[in-house]
Amino acid sequence: MSISRNIFRVTLGLFVGGLVSAFLGYWFAEGALREKVAETRVRQGTIRAMALADLVFAEQSRAEKEKTAPGALIQFWQQRHNDVDAVRVMRLSGARLLASSFNDDLENGTPPRRLKRSEKEIYDLGQLLRANVDTNREEGNPREPEVISEELRNGRLRVSVPWFTAKNPEKAAGYVQLEVSPTITTRELAFWPVLVLALVPAFLFFIGSLILSRLVKLEHPESVLWSAMTTSVLLMIFCLLGFGNYYLIDLGQENVRFQQELAQLYTASRTSAEEGAAEFALDYETTYTNDWDVNAYRQPLRYISFDGELYIGVGTAQDTVANRLGMAFFGCSLLAIGLLVFFGLGGAARFWHIIVDYREAYIYTLPAMTGMLVLVFFPFGYGILLSFTDQTLYNTEKPLLDIWAGLNNYIEIIGDFNLIQTTEAGWSFNYQNFYWTLFITVAWTVVNVSIGVTIGLILALLLNNKNLRFKALYRGLLILPWATPNYVTALIWKGLFNREYGPINHTIQLFGGEPVAWFDSVFTSFLTGITVNGWLSFPFMMVICLGGLQSISSDMYEAARLDGANRWQQFRYITLPSLKPTLIPAVILSVVWTFNMFNVIYLVSGGEPGGSNEILITKAYKLAFQDYRYGYSAAYSTVIFLILLIYGVFQTKVSRAMESNA
Amino acid sequence: MSRKIKDESSPILIHVVLITFTAMTIYPLLWVLTIAFSGKQSLAIALLPENPTVWDRLRAIIPFPETVSLANFIEVITEKNFLVWMGNSAIVATLTTLLGVFLSCTAAYAFSRFKFPGQRAGLMSFLVSQMFPGTLMMVPLYIIVVQWLNLGNTFWGLILVYSTIAIPFCVWMLKGYFDTIPIEIEESAIMDGASRTVIFFRIILPLAKPAISVTALFSFMAGWNEFIIASLLMEEEKMYTAPVGLKFFVGEHATQWGSFAAGSIIVSVPVVLLFMYTQKYLVSGLTAGSVKG
Repeated sequence: MSISRNIFRVTLGLFVGGLVSAFLGYWFAEGALREKVAETRVRQGTIRAMALADLVFAEQSRAEKEKTAPGALIQFWQQRHNDVDAVRVMRLSGARLLASSFNDDLENGTPPRRLKRSEKEIYDLGQLLRANVDTNREEGNPREPEVISEELRNGRLRVSVPWFTAKNPEKAAGYVQLEVSPTITTRELAFWPVLVLALVPAFLFFIGSLILSRLVKLEHPESVLWSAMTTSVLLMIFCLLGFGNYYLIDLGQENVRFQQELAQLYTASRTSAEEGAAEFALDYETTYTNDWDVNAYRQPLRYISFDGELYIGVGTAQDTVANRLGMAFFGCSLLAIGLLVFFGLGGAARFWHIIVDYREAYIYTLPAMTGMLVLVFFPFGYGILLSFTDQTLYNTEKPLLDIWAGLNNYIEIIGDFNLIQTTEAGWSFNYQNFYWTLFITVAWTVVNVSIGVTIGLILALLLNNKNLRFKALYRGLLILPWATPNYVTALIWKGLFNREYGPINHTIQLFGGEPVAWFDSVFTSFLTGITVNGWLSFPFMMVICLGGLQSISSDMYEAARLDGANRWQQFRYITLPSLKPTLIPAVILSVVWTFNMFNVIYLVSGGEPGGSNEILITKAYKLAFQDYRYGYSAAYSTVIFLILLIYGVFQTKVSRAMESNA
Repeated sequence: MSRKIKDESSPILIHVVLITFTAMTIYPLLWVLTIAFSGKQSLAIALLPENPTVWDRLRAIIPFPETVSLANFIEVITEKNFLVWMGNSAIVATLTTLLGVFLSCTAAYAFSRFKFPGQRAGLMSFLVSQMFPGTLMMVPLYIIVVQWLNLGNTFWGLILVYSTIAIPFCVWMLKGYFDTIPIEIEESAIMDGASRTVIFFRIILPLAKPAISVTALFSFMAGWNEFIIASLLMEEEKMYTAPVGLKFFVGEHATQWGSFAAGSIIVSVPVVLLFMYTQKYLVSGLTAGSVKG
């Protein structure tokens, strides 16, 4: 019995591991193929566009009186190449459309002509290309694309490349835009290896062990398990190797075919460019290098020689793809073997039993847990990952590994002790420093929570009187600040604190004082925040305290009074201890909420003056959404989280210690 | 305690203290009402003459408009897409409430009534998630909701985010309340042959009405009041929620205080009414669990 159960588990492990890794591997391989196809399509469009740009260069570089619009040239180019559907040549100087076979352009008037206002997009693209070329030349390090390609919905591709003139060979004079239907033929990746990997190892193992169990009788189930595991892992590795190599070789061959097709295409372009130069009597000679097959930064790729031969470089280029895909396959293999071991050694069975035994509980928690995982815990993890990178608004497309910064952000935040700034006028605090902001945040939290608890407790004590008249009315009105949306109240208070018209300054003046510019000094600005947040947060504490007070039975007071306790003693020894279980969680929550109270600071004082009243969370927000330093801001937020976590752990320890003392 | 106060300290003193606090509490709200009904865009209640007397100053503080007018309300409703935004907010907040209450009740019930592996870890993770700074989540949330789930600029994107964000607090609160409901009730129902689902819907949920009302209130407020995530996810003006739209009036260029005040009042009224209606449950709903523990 136990033999067959082990065999069954291992077979299931082989099946699940094979299935999962096969699907993942297929997905990776398909992704790699799709990437390669997209790249090849762009290269085809680029070759056609670059060749035409060279002809336009020759044509536009002619002496002024010989110069004609390149209309005939693009017509020739389109006739020679079936894959070119439409061409547009624009010149930036004078915003002129030199030639075009786009229907939209022809409807607006026959080129050559000036661009219309409604065709601003056409002009803007030229500006962008010129700016990108300039940036890359000045920085000496290509960063902005000089060949802009765009996949269109109808399966066509739009490629734009800049053209230059002999007079100014470094500045883009305009661009040539082609709409191309790439001729690259693609085929689907074979799917059968997936089925083989999923089924064959499991099947082989099952049959093999059935036969073996007939022939050999092993006494110890332990040894059966281990020999089964070893065999199955070996079998799995063997099949994984076959699976991976099949796709790698297949993709390699496919890649070579793409290169060959591109080489033919290049040769054809070259021939027709030479013929075109002759036909239009252009002063143009084809070079003995392939300058048309370029990457997005217009750097030659050097895969195809000028006479259409494939260079060795093709193989190396494929190697990088293969390496990446190989890594992915390796990851899949580890996963497969992991799954196999998990199933084979019974982990999966135990896991399954737990799920089944407690299925009711898990079903009830599943919806909430799924939501939390996807929309809370995953973003949190992703945010922590971001904190180790240099991500800004300008490099969001790059993979995280390319902008990995390690602990740099943290070192920059925590390691910066420049608290004092010395300028010509003397010295001042550096309000941008992390420790200043931390100090303000802690002060803000402590003051706010103290005020909230004190006022809340006082009001609750006053209201907790069964015979008090208008009790419901008082409670209803006192709770209003909690009920009003807090962005509304924050903005109301901003108005109340207005220097000229605000009622608060009017009141001060009424008593003969001078109006205060509340947001101009560190202290008064801090005071505004405290006032607003105190006003906002006491109702919560009041309600909590009321709940706590209602649960204290009056007998205790009765007894205390008989013992001669005065009112303060009753409060100190009965009320406060009975309130503790209600108050402590509320205080912890309120500390966490106040620490991260974004709206009040952001909307009332905005951290004025000079960012001195910023708290950590508003600072992190500004770093992300005003400075666009996503990585740095994420590190800042992570530090906030760590501070709160340490506080939480510490607080629970302390309150537990207090409980055990009591 | 209650009897004590009545016996020994004068109720007049209590009333004086309470009236002072209440006046301070509602003054800002009266002020915004005044501005809204003034018919002007200025944030001054009354403009001061050259050499103001004490009475002029007092007039500028007393929260009652010089002339009562509905002009600001009419302008807000007719000129901007304000009604559309209110409608959007109503849809988002209502569905957030339904989804949030469902998610929180089911999870809280499991945490309260079952013992299962991962129970403590789950509860702790909910508690810790309250400490996650919102700024850390915003960029990833945008990537997940807009790029992966393709829910940018839709109501569902907002609803999912809001109802999830409210879960941890609601689960903790509801669990505390469920814990106070005696388990014997359920046991006798099981004896009578009721299934878990029946018990949950027919017995537990009706008994937990106070806590569920409070959960619903908080979920509604989460959906109705939030503006940062909404402005992040909603691109088109006609998809804005009311808080995002309100920010137009106190934008960077012009501050139309009158319109803002009128808009604030329209936005606040539903949630304030709901809050007042739920008030009777607030105390017991919030504190039942912790008092017992």
